[in-house]
Amino acid sequence: MQSRYSAWALLRARLSSKRFWVPLWGGQRLQPAYDVVVVGAGGHGLATAYHLARDHGVKRIAVLEKRLVGYGNVGRNTTVVRSNYLLPENHYFYEDSLRRWETLSRDLNYNVMYSPRGVVDLALSDDDMGRLARRGNAMRLAGIDAELMDTAGLKRFCPELGLHTPRRFPIVGALVQRRGGTARHDAVAWGYARAATAHGVHIIENCEVTGVRAAAGRAVGVETTAGYVRADRIVFATAGHTGMIGTMLETPLPIETHLLQAMVSEPIKPLLNTVIVFIFPGHGETYIAQSDRGGLVMGGHLDGFPSYTREGRWDRLEDVVAGAVELLPQIGAVKILRQWAGTNDMTMDGSPIMDRVRYDNVFVNAGWCYGGFKAIPASGAAFASFVASGTPPDLIKAYSLSRFDTGHMLDESGGGPFPVRL
Amino acid sequence: MNQLQCPFCGPRELQEFEFRKTRANVTTSEFSKVYLRVDSVDVSVEHWQHVQGCRAWLLVERNPSTGAVLGIEALPAVMR
Repeated sequence: MQSRYSAWALLRARLSSKRFWVPLWGGQRLQPAYDVVVVGAGGHGLATAYHLARDHGVKRIAVLEKRLVGYGNVGRNTTVVRSNYLLPENHYFYEDSLRRWETLSRDLNYNVMYSPRGVVDLALSDDDMGRLARRGNAMRLAGIDAELMDTAGLKRFCPELGLHTPRRFPIVGALVQRRGGTARHDAVAWGYARAATAHGVHIIENCEVTGVRAAAGRAVGVETTAGYVRADRIVFATAGHTGMIGTMLETPLPIETHLLQAMVSEPIKPLLNTVIVFIFPGHGETYIAQSDRGGLVMGGHLDGFPSYTREGRWDRLEDVVAGAVELLPQIGAVKILRQWAGTNDMTMDGSPIMDRVRYDNVFVNAGWCYGGFKAIPASGAAFASFVASGTPPDLIKAYSLSRFDTGHMLDESGGGPFPVRL
Repeated sequence: MNQLQCPFCGPRELQEFEFRKTRANVTTSEFSKVYLRVDSVDVSVEHWQHVQGCRAWLLVERNPSTGAVLGIEALPAVMR
């Protein structure tokens, strides 16, 4: 039985001889049948299971995970949360998510370390300023905070940038979303897993789903490495491996799987108090934030071709680091400690897919590209409502799969049907 | 995967090449031809271009789970 976390509980645990730190999830045996089987114990899968149990009273829920809770992208991302999108469908959805981030630690009774330290999109030219002003205006019309800053404002907000440093492309301003920031990625997986377990969800690790069994035009269960499991409804939330789900369901999807790298420096004293996104002409992109442990967490563009290797190409690492040093010359001597990559399902318009696929009772939550982490709270709530009621809530109607047939794309960057935009 | 073997130029650094798209083999409608992809973990058939070399379009067959290149040849004009 789980205890409720609080300062008082911690004190009591310290003083009592009873064991306080019990496992947060696991320990349940896989049952032969469930009302809902969720495939994938990442952020989206766990959040969906949690909301199904908490908000919709679904009793028998299992989350089946090929490896371990949080092994995939929820544990590999660069932890940025924000809602600074251009298109209405996207900014309403991500704003709903950001509002949920603000109270998530309390809702889950688990500290996800949401830190609204601001997200700064730098402008290096007048064109950039125009582009960012347009995005900022679109956000403000939707009631989302956005602030277009000139160099004087930016100097106050982010003094460590050193705007007088001679640069090839001087910084001329920025679009800032103050409520954006970071959260502790692993804690999100752990917090949802713990909260879902408290609502009776079974989380089964090391159990890979290998196929879907169907009868009379309906899915009836999933084949797994631990045997067959009957299911009334099946939810796939397998970011980065949705292509395999498409193969399993014999339905080609508008998805390619690409790698995105991230890296972290050795820990240093507090230097950077915000998240900076720096798009550098000709080189690519660097975004950088400092974790609470002191490491500078960085990422950039996709590797640029389909891959499941989780390795990452070296020249991309070089691009990202070059951008970081251009941005903050004072970190030039800091060493990179670790580098890793995650698999991203990249859709052909850059927006997610939350829809039924092939069968009426098979739901796929996919295609989050490189932005799935920030979407977790809203995606879990909205998708659970979809799965429970059978009708998608307004917030996610635009993320239907049929938009690729009707041409109603949600293409943030206007880049056309290619996941790699150069 | 750090290099590709261009059929015209020989082995060259990966940076010289640009991936364009995976091959779509579904042709049920015009939209699906444009948007649907074959995303397999074993074999990926892709169009690349040797942009910083001979600029030839290439048909590359790779295993995306290991990065191994299974075959590379000039892209026939009819497939472009």
